[in-house]
Amino acid sequence: MSGNNVNRRDFLKILGWGGVGVAVAGCDRPTTVTLEEGKEEVVAYLQPEEYVIPGVGVWFASTCQQCPAGCGVHGRVREGRVLKMEGNPDSPINYGKLCQMGQAGLQGHYNPDRLKKPLLRKGGALTEVSWEEAMAQLDQKVGIASGLNGERFAWFTGTVSGHQSVLLSAHLASMGSKNHFVHEVINDAVVRAVNQDMLGEAAPRYLLDQAKVVLSFGADFVGAGASPVYFANSYAKFRTATPRGVLIQVEPKMTLTGGSADLWVAIRPGTEGVLALGIANYLTTNGVDASGLPESLRALISGYGPDKVSKITGVSADRVARIAALLKDRSPSLVLAGASAEGHAHGYQSVAAITLLNILLGNVGKTIVPSGASQFPQMEAKPGNTRDLLAFANAAEQKALDVVFFHGANPVYTAPAALGLAEKIKNIPFKVAFSCFPDETAMSADLVLPILSAHEDWGTHMGVYQPEQKSISIQQPLMEPIYPDSKGFGDLLLVMLKARKVTGFDGFEDYYAYLKSAFAALPASVKGDAVSDEDFWGKTLQKGIVKVATVGGSLSTKAIEINLPEFKEDSSRPYHLVPSARLGMWDGRHANLPWLQEAPDQISKVVWTSWVEVHPQTAAKLGVKEGDFIKVASEHGAVEAQVYIYKGVHPDVIAVPMGQGHEEYGRYAKGRGVNPLKVLAPATDAKTGELALYATRVTATHAGRRELLVKLMGNETQLGRKMVATVKAEVFNRTEGGKDVA
Amino acid sequence: MSLNNILTNWSRYRKGAEEGGFHEYEHQWGMVVDLNKCIGCNACSVACYAENNLPVVGEARYAKSQFMSWMRIERYWDEPDLEPYQASPTANVDVWIETNPPAGKTALKPSMPGSYAEGLLEPGGQGFEERVGVFGTKGEMQDFGASFLPMMCQQCHAATCEPVCPVAATYHTPDGLNAQVYNRCIGSRYCSNNCPYRLRYFNFWSYYEDAWPEPLHMQLNPDLAVRDKGVMEKCTFCVQRIRVAKDEAKMENRKVRDGEFATACVQTCPTGALVFGDLQDPESRVSKLWRFHQVEQGKTKQNKQNKELRGYRILEGLNTDPSVMYLERVREV
Repeated sequence: MSGNNVNRRDFLKILGWGGVGVAVAGCDRPTTVTLEEGKEEVVAYLQPEEYVIPGVGVWFASTCQQCPAGCGVHGRVREGRVLKMEGNPDSPINYGKLCQMGQAGLQGHYNPDRLKKPLLRKGGALTEVSWEEAMAQLDQKVGIASGLNGERFAWFTGTVSGHQSVLLSAHLASMGSKNHFVHEVINDAVVRAVNQDMLGEAAPRYLLDQAKVVLSFGADFVGAGASPVYFANSYAKFRTATPRGVLIQVEPKMTLTGGSADLWVAIRPGTEGVLALGIANYLTTNGVDASGLPESLRALISGYGPDKVSKITGVSADRVARIAALLKDRSPSLVLAGASAEGHAHGYQSVAAITLLNILLGNVGKTIVPSGASQFPQMEAKPGNTRDLLAFANAAEQKALDVVFFHGANPVYTAPAALGLAEKIKNIPFKVAFSCFPDETAMSADLVLPILSAHEDWGTHMGVYQPEQKSISIQQPLMEPIYPDSKGFGDLLLVMLKARKVTGFDGFEDYYAYLKSAFAALPASVKGDAVSDEDFWGKTLQKGIVKVATVGGSLSTKAIEINLPEFKEDSSRPYHLVPSARLGMWDGRHANLPWLQEAPDQISKVVWTSWVEVHPQTAAKLGVKEGDFIKVASEHGAVEAQVYIYKGVHPDVIAVPMGQGHEEYGRYAKGRGVNPLKVLAPATDAKTGELALYATRVTATHAGRRELLVKLMGNETQLGRKMVATVKAEVFNRTEGGKDVA
Repeated sequence: MSLNNILTNWSRYRKGAEEGGFHEYEHQWGMVVDLNKCIGCNACSVACYAENNLPVVGEARYAKSQFMSWMRIERYWDEPDLEPYQASPTANVDVWIETNPPAGKTALKPSMPGSYAEGLLEPGGQGFEERVGVFGTKGEMQDFGASFLPMMCQQCHAATCEPVCPVAATYHTPDGLNAQVYNRCIGSRYCSNNCPYRLRYFNFWSYYEDAWPEPLHMQLNPDLAVRDKGVMEKCTFCVQRIRVAKDEAKMENRKVRDGEFATACVQTCPTGALVFGDLQDPESRVSKLWRFHQVEQGKTKQNKQNKELRGYRILEGLNTDPSVMYLERVREV
């Protein structure tokens, strides 16, 4: 087991259970295993092999690794191969459902372009080497004998949680460093910062189903958001409530969530905060009590009258009044902010103005309630951001790093070209990538260690957003490794910890043994009715989810000072670039999955490539038709892609989706489409330091060539036929309100 | 079902709704699609690729509409019910399927500019503004979201695809499904030409040659075949799952229970917009929903007591008798 010199408190910390809440009792009792609908059997990994009958599928529980949401999954295994993923009904995140990215996780696992052997840079080129040589290199550079210690070492990862996070932190500590850069392009870092300052909790629980109206400023909660499947479930409840909830979406380009809006409002990018204050102005002049707000805020609100707001935002005064009246009349409501509101130099200020509406409308405590923390803080997800990407680029430029380890992030692809990251990281003498795929970052590393796929490895995860029931989701192998020369990430961390002679880890033979010991060391309150450690471990693997207690959790409202800048046009670059995120390609990490390449974008229906969304007026101005290539140029570079024309984009906006434009990353991704992140200006939100993703100004010109834009729909209209019929909400409320039909 | 049986009993199986219909089913698998819940996210479609060995065809073949997505999400920008389209007053008006133009407006005719018969609507093309005025939302901007429509084989009970097959490769099963016998199919594509929903997909190529490079092929579902060039295919309502559920029920000497299994698309739908079940079981969720919405099989036009109920079947006026009922999208206006 553990080393001799470890006391119980340290021991629990080593196993990931450190923190204030360890003694907390009163958790939910785990229920017994249920046989899922239509599933042959859900079994624990520990079942003997004889259990496997040829021709009969067996389902194992695990955790989806396709985005940071951490949905629970069941994988169907037959004759030793995993064939199909479905949601784990016991997961309090996804309730048995999965999105398209979760369905397509299999194609990462079986990807024909996976790394098979360690690669070491020799004379400029990456060359296949044995694990012995790779690990010897690693030891030479970061082992005790290397003398490397302190802040010249860094980890650069995506969102990380669970025991991998525990081991990673222990490894970082063993190196004497605090440099853990956590990077995600799709994040809600600014919203989290505002929530922390104004509500007292970074990620409170949003009760969509309690809200009669949801006003979303670009929050793509059912699409590229913090937890798409969780919110899709909430959305269904919101839409079937009595009366049916109303969704108003305000954004520069229609997101997937906007695609379901009752009222969709195009707004000039960066003016979301102004619109929020305009709505506040209507509310306060129409009887909503603002006496709780500081005088300075009341004065600010009174300065945003209808005419001014309409002029700045491009949203008509009538419409502002209509939205505000709806919010006032139908209480409680919920006001959300998302990426298009966050991504500006004044993003924090805009989100604060939006959050102020929740305070003014009395939504806090009704549709926004505390979420609390889990009893095991060490296990919680470390959410990613873009601030760390900038900090990393800066550290590389300053030659402040000797060694960096990459895992679960691809900064060479996601960093704007203006950051010069590809050049700057050459200042770091030894870069190690722990990766399944030859992505841009791995290919610019000095040592590439092929790791097991998400479906082959062990792990534990906590979703990045767990507002209801805190839980730890188990990741267990769904089949034997396809490539014997790849290793588990947890196993590698453990090997490195042992190499650093960190006390407490020497007793564990491998990561599996570590995890098993960790679960044995859990307090009885978490173990429920298990009769032994072995029994608990078996049940845990079978169920895939361990529910844990919530500690703390309270909201307080604090109105903070808001400073919105004067809005300026830039006549030399008349358009705003929107690097839109889509459920599917995500930040580009799924461009190597053919199912997702061939799954049409939900809005434009384009497949396999990049496109540029423009408004018909803009198209007329530029003289382009669908399929024409246009050149979108910022101060920092240009991209060319084909035009898709529709009315769901502001006339001043050029929207280019993220995800394509890979220079590496295998046959399905490489050399396909363009990456709008490359041409972004490196502007940041003044308060949080987050990259201002929506703040880049561009020119657009006809590139003079044209090809068929490959998409699903041959026709954009119903031609008067009853394909998608629509009824008014009042009819729906009358006929189905309050009825549970089936 | 043997070919001999089909040929002998052809008229019996083909008894249409107007003749009282065919009633000797064991099951009648059906579906409900609630457009109030559908967010158009595509999870159903990708789940179908995973479950049913659908090949990825690549960009060049996709451009020729040679893709194989048995379940696809169509997306429209207009809502005829909310924003009645306006047709040119000079248009030569006659009948357009299911069109019910509001007073003072004219029905749309296929020969109108930008319509079906004219080929693809070309945004940005000549007269686009004018045509968007006709087809899109009336204003300058899209005022509401898109209209998403999940489309899979409607498993029609009076299927237009069935009687035209020269070799009876497509026929109606006692489960109420339009089956496709791959080994019998000679690739005439008559069925596809006859499907008003365009939900049949033809293997123009031997997709398996490049759709699953090693080791992607290890994911293929051994419960069903990988199809070869020259064969028509389409949504089967995950017949392999139906088979397993029926076998299990039989071994346990019971009926198949409602909700015991679901097709891959229904299973994964994040909002629960899709419901699957046996329309012959009066207690199934699908039966209850069909009853509640007063939609009946065997009709070309529903005669609802409560006209406000949302249930409808797409293009049912063509007498296809689909097994899929859609529930109208709801909008706050």
